[in-house]
Amino acid sequence: MSQEQKKKTFLTRFLSGFSALLRNSPTFKVGFSLLVIILTLAVFEPAMNDYRLGGHKSTEFGAFDQFLPYSLEHPLGTDHFGRDTLALQITGLKFSLMIGITAGGIATLIAVTVAVGAGYLGGKLDAFLNSMTNAVLVTPTLPILIAMAAYMRMNLQLISLTLAIFSWPWAARTIRAQILSLKERGYVELAEMTGLNKFEIMFTEILPNILPFVGVGFSYATIGAILAETGLRVIGLGPAELPSLGLLLNWAITFGALAQGYYELVVAPATFLILIFISFNLINVGVEEIFNPRLKKITGL
Amino acid sequence: MAKEMSKARILRYIAKRVIVYVVTLFVAFSILFFFLRLIPGDPVSRFIRDIELRYSYRIANTQEIIDAYKEKFGLKGSLWTQYTSYIRRVFLEFDFGPSFLNFPNSAQSLILRRLPWSIWFLGLATLMAWVIGILAGGLLGWKRGTKIDSAVFTVALCMSQIPFYLVALLLVLIFAYVLGTFPPRWAFSPSISPGLNLEFIASVLKHAALPALSLVLVSTFTWVISTRALTITILGEDYLMFARAKGLNRLRIMNKYILRNILLPQVTGLAMSLGFVVNGFFLIEWIFSYPGIGTLLIQAIPVLDYNTIQGIALISIFTVLSANLIIDIIYPLIDPRIRTGG
Repeated sequence: MSQEQKKKTFLTRFLSGFSALLRNSPTFKVGFSLLVIILTLAVFEPAMNDYRLGGHKSTEFGAFDQFLPYSLEHPLGTDHFGRDTLALQITGLKFSLMIGITAGGIATLIAVTVAVGAGYLGGKLDAFLNSMTNAVLVTPTLPILIAMAAYMRMNLQLISLTLAIFSWPWAARTIRAQILSLKERGYVELAEMTGLNKFEIMFTEILPNILPFVGVGFSYATIGAILAETGLRVIGLGPAELPSLGLLLNWAITFGALAQGYYELVVAPATFLILIFISFNLINVGVEEIFNPRLKKITGL
Repeated sequence: MAKEMSKARILRYIAKRVIVYVVTLFVAFSILFFFLRLIPGDPVSRFIRDIELRYSYRIANTQEIIDAYKEKFGLKGSLWTQYTSYIRRVFLEFDFGPSFLNFPNSAQSLILRRLPWSIWFLGLATLMAWVIGILAGGLLGWKRGTKIDSAVFTVALCMSQIPFYLVALLLVLIFAYVLGTFPPRWAFSPSISPGLNLEFIASVLKHAALPALSLVLVSTFTWVISTRALTITILGEDYLMFARAKGLNRLRIMNKYILRNILLPQVTGLAMSLGFVVNGFFLIEWIFSYPGIGTLLIQAIPVLDYNTIQGIALISIFTVLSANLIIDIIYPLIDPRIRTGG
């Protein structure tokens, strides 16, 4: 097979898998549409906020009057620092997704490396990597994260890396299980017999077939990272120059928004977070329904 | 002869599990220990500065005193000496060491004072969610494919993904501020003195309602999803078809064939999540200012009270792993299908 053909099969495989997902799984469709909406909001955040706020930044103190009521100009009003609440939510959404997706990406890289090492190369390495995975899985990581966030100056890269270090084990487990089952399939054995070396088999036979599960792993790692990041920010830790949805929640809580009746300051970030979690989860369930036949039977779809 | 062989096999299986258990325990704890020490910060000088400030009193010979305190708190010497001496202290003397938060008392006395509050509401909530989730999930699996099933299943899929601290915040908003039915924080009303009387118990129950509810709401749906999946798998098994063909009545099938096969894996899950109770939900405690070990952990971190942080983490790791080990050992005794193997 020439290099070009190989690439083509890889791409067409990916695209046909994707369109099969959209056609056959309503769960995936809903989740994916939600994610597209959220991502669009996040990507166009600067332009949108610039247009709506007339040049003010969404985090700028005193850009408007305090506690303006709901209006066409400020659909969710303004907060105690005179910031437009809706614009802040979209900025928060952008930062939550940026941190989550960066961390999720790094975590997936770690997970794939560990899973390939454990599942395919096997033997002693498998035993070692597996016990490492289990150990990280039971280590209560939030205390470590909290302590690190409290004592180290974090930026986007550092906080993503820190979150990634602790959110890879689930993905690694899922992917390893898939590799183990693929290894037993006839075509991998066939490839071994034809004299392909381990790395060639890994990249041409195994990785393309575990792609959906790498996707699921990425999605879980991203959710895990956003969950942990929000947890940190809610109690007021982490870099203030990255106002994610969790930090917005912390601002609302420390201001006493609930006791003073400004409910939207808590409800709005919570709603956006819930949308993020639901969209990623529906995508995961959809992918698993289609690519995991045992599960397809289980969900009865 | 054959019996003896299988006995040796079981013993080997148990020995293997125990070794894995001990190794995982040490690795998990070591990850925690070394990551915590990576953090820059000097808790001892800070502690001494605090004392000086509080009693407006200058401590002479500060370096000597710092050294003495470092010795006491196990912060002296290289990382490796600190690590080995901590391990020795915890596993041989069963002592977590002194705590900065509660000096001169030990970390374990502080943790033990807070632990009951966490276990009481988190444990109860976890159990409640488990029972409701299994019953509902089993029923849904039994009625799979119906409208009720798909409706409840979709709701469960979405609900189980919402982080419990968001649920907690929204519950506080609705029940504490809009409706005013339940108090928003603390474990009991500060105007009531603790004691074994009706007023105090009522207050404790009322204050635990919201934190417990936020946990129950989320984790019930997780149990519903997994139990439903298990039930449907079991319903497809050949032995069930046979039981039906034999004409056994539904209740008997439900009870003998389905419930029993669901309970085994779900008990494992319960044991695991009871372990996570110890630390997994400290944000709920923080939101409600509940005096459990979750709040203690958040108080211990700003002063880098290593002994308390490590103590809480160690308890958590220990419970999760021990629950797993016990289940692993009991499992083959109950379930003949996995009696052998590695």
